[in-house]
Amino acid sequence: MYWEKFLIKYILFICVFIYSGVTLSGPFSDFKAGAELSEELSSSPTAKRNTPNSDSLVQSIDALNPKNSSVWRELQDNLLGNDANVLFVDDIKLIMQDYIEEAHKVPLIVTLPKRLHNFKNFILIIENNPIQQAMSIRPYRLIESLGMNIRLEDDSPVRAAVQGDNGIWYVGSKMAFVASVGGCSTPACDPSVEVCETGTIGKIAIKQYEREAGAERIKLKVTHPMETGFVTDLQGEIIPEYFVKNIHVDDNKGAIADITTFAALSSDPVILLDLPKKGQSVRVHVKDSLGLEFFSYDSNTM
Amino acid sequence: MKIFNIILIFILYFNVYPSFSSNDFNLVPIKVSNNVFVFVGANEDINNKNGGAISNTGFIIGDDSILVIDAGPSYIYASNVIEIIKSFSDLPIKYLVVTHHHADHSFGISRYLEMDVEIIMAPAELKRYLKYGNRSLKQLRDLIGEEWFLDTKINSFQYKEKKYPVSLNLGNRNILIELYEKGHSDGDLIIKDKISSTLFVGDLVFSGRAPTIPHANINNWKNYIDLISKKNWNYLIPGHGNIIKNKDELLPTKNWITFIDKTAKEASISGISALEIFNEGLPDFIKEYKLAKETWYRDLPILINKYEFD
Repeated sequence: MYWEKFLIKYILFICVFIYSGVTLSGPFSDFKAGAELSEELSSSPTAKRNTPNSDSLVQSIDALNPKNSSVWRELQDNLLGNDANVLFVDDIKLIMQDYIEEAHKVPLIVTLPKRLHNFKNFILIIENNPIQQAMSIRPYRLIESLGMNIRLEDDSPVRAAVQGDNGIWYVGSKMAFVASVGGCSTPACDPSVEVCETGTIGKIAIKQYEREAGAERIKLKVTHPMETGFVTDLQGEIIPEYFVKNIHVDDNKGAIADITTFAALSSDPVILLDLPKKGQSVRVHVKDSLGLEFFSYDSNTM
Repeated sequence: MKIFNIILIFILYFNVYPSFSSNDFNLVPIKVSNNVFVFVGANEDINNKNGGAISNTGFIIGDDSILVIDAGPSYIYASNVIEIIKSFSDLPIKYLVVTHHHADHSFGISRYLEMDVEIIMAPAELKRYLKYGNRSLKQLRDLIGEEWFLDTKINSFQYKEKKYPVSLNLGNRNILIELYEKGHSDGDLIIKDKISSTLFVGDLVFSGRAPTIPHANINNWKNYIDLISKKNWNYLIPGHGNIIKNKDELLPTKNWITFIDKTAKEASISGISALEIFNEGLPDFIKEYKLAKETWYRDLPILINKYEFD
């Protein structure tokens, strides 16, 4: 009997202690982003040393908490603004694999809750990358979800910051572990050991898919090396950064979105946009960091 | 008495232990038929315990010479295999047939190049071996540790053009090698030992695990499985898994590639991403396969990509 009483008191004490810790702790006290890991991460035995396992869940909840991040505060000030109003939420879902084999090309889809379909600005942030901002989008229409493929230099929290029309930044987060580091700093194709194939720079492919209730999905792909400026060639010279800077998407009803991109997107970047209403003849206009322009249509007839 | 036993066990343990802890493959050949043997690889993904030895290596002994099927994942693995073969027969190893270019089947080639062995490999696969070999070797070293790949190199070698099917004679033992182009890989070789009616089919058939498809033409591959099924054989040695004696055992390979191909094609038509499919969880169909999850996650995006922006 005595022990039971003691146990209950002890548990109560711990609860109160943790609760007070949560409520009283600084600027990120609202952090509750879902650090849930899929079955893959919590159960998959992989070959990597320091294999992700059930401990990774704890590790990742820890890493996702911005309080524990040495870089988030500065990133937030730089990218979202010094006096930005920031809320960490769990209804912005980042769908990506927990454990990534090919860190040069990591697919990611971000789904937004209905209240954010009319967002004003979207920034994708990879905390532990040398290039931390992968892209930003300013939309002209409602967007339900978006996708892209990114580079991951190392294990990192990936965060989608979405500014609602009330000016508040809502941030969804997800932890990603990589099998071998260097998604930004090692060549995806290593000419010292293989023959590399490169596509024609500036080739644009657009696909439109119908979704339920007249909604549509747009996927576009731009053939481009997206050099990060962190990779050296065979002679040890740094390959200068060279990447797509801007992608403008429109259709017969006018502009859809202005996308600013950085070399933290993978080579031959793919962008996915889910719109609630289908448009016709989607077009894309791309500018890269050398000032070259590419069109998915004949630009002279404009 | 009990204490004595315990001490004895300890002494034995510490004497034997080092041979387990070094990078040893603990290879034991299984007899398929008279003078036909196979080393069955671990039914796992490549990891730092199995050293990449996940595929099957076979050998056939004739009256004059020996033929080896697949080089295995590394120089050390190939050395171990060669040593064991020597304990079976003093005859020279005359041929090495590499069924296709994937690392777990081909990276032991560097060991055979030190001997007077003729290497038989489809030209398209030799090209891929040379083109992508060093890259995969680097990835494997990163993944499971350099120590497994000491002396493993990707070398080009003297190659004699062949006209398939190729007939060889190991001395009162006729071997037939057929080329299956653009199926599981660009050029898979199938080796038939006529006396025992044994067929080594490489990765055209997987037994007891999910098949991998990164370089496959799935339509052709399905037809090839039907073709193999119609042939006469007593024993069929798959690229991975146990010896097959029953034609029904070819079905899981065919069913898997049919399913993953259909899923990828449907996804590419409707614009669904692999991620969204993963997010739904594993389909029930594939759960009965070993290594299903790993293979599904790795291969489905490759296949969707291939169909998507065609």
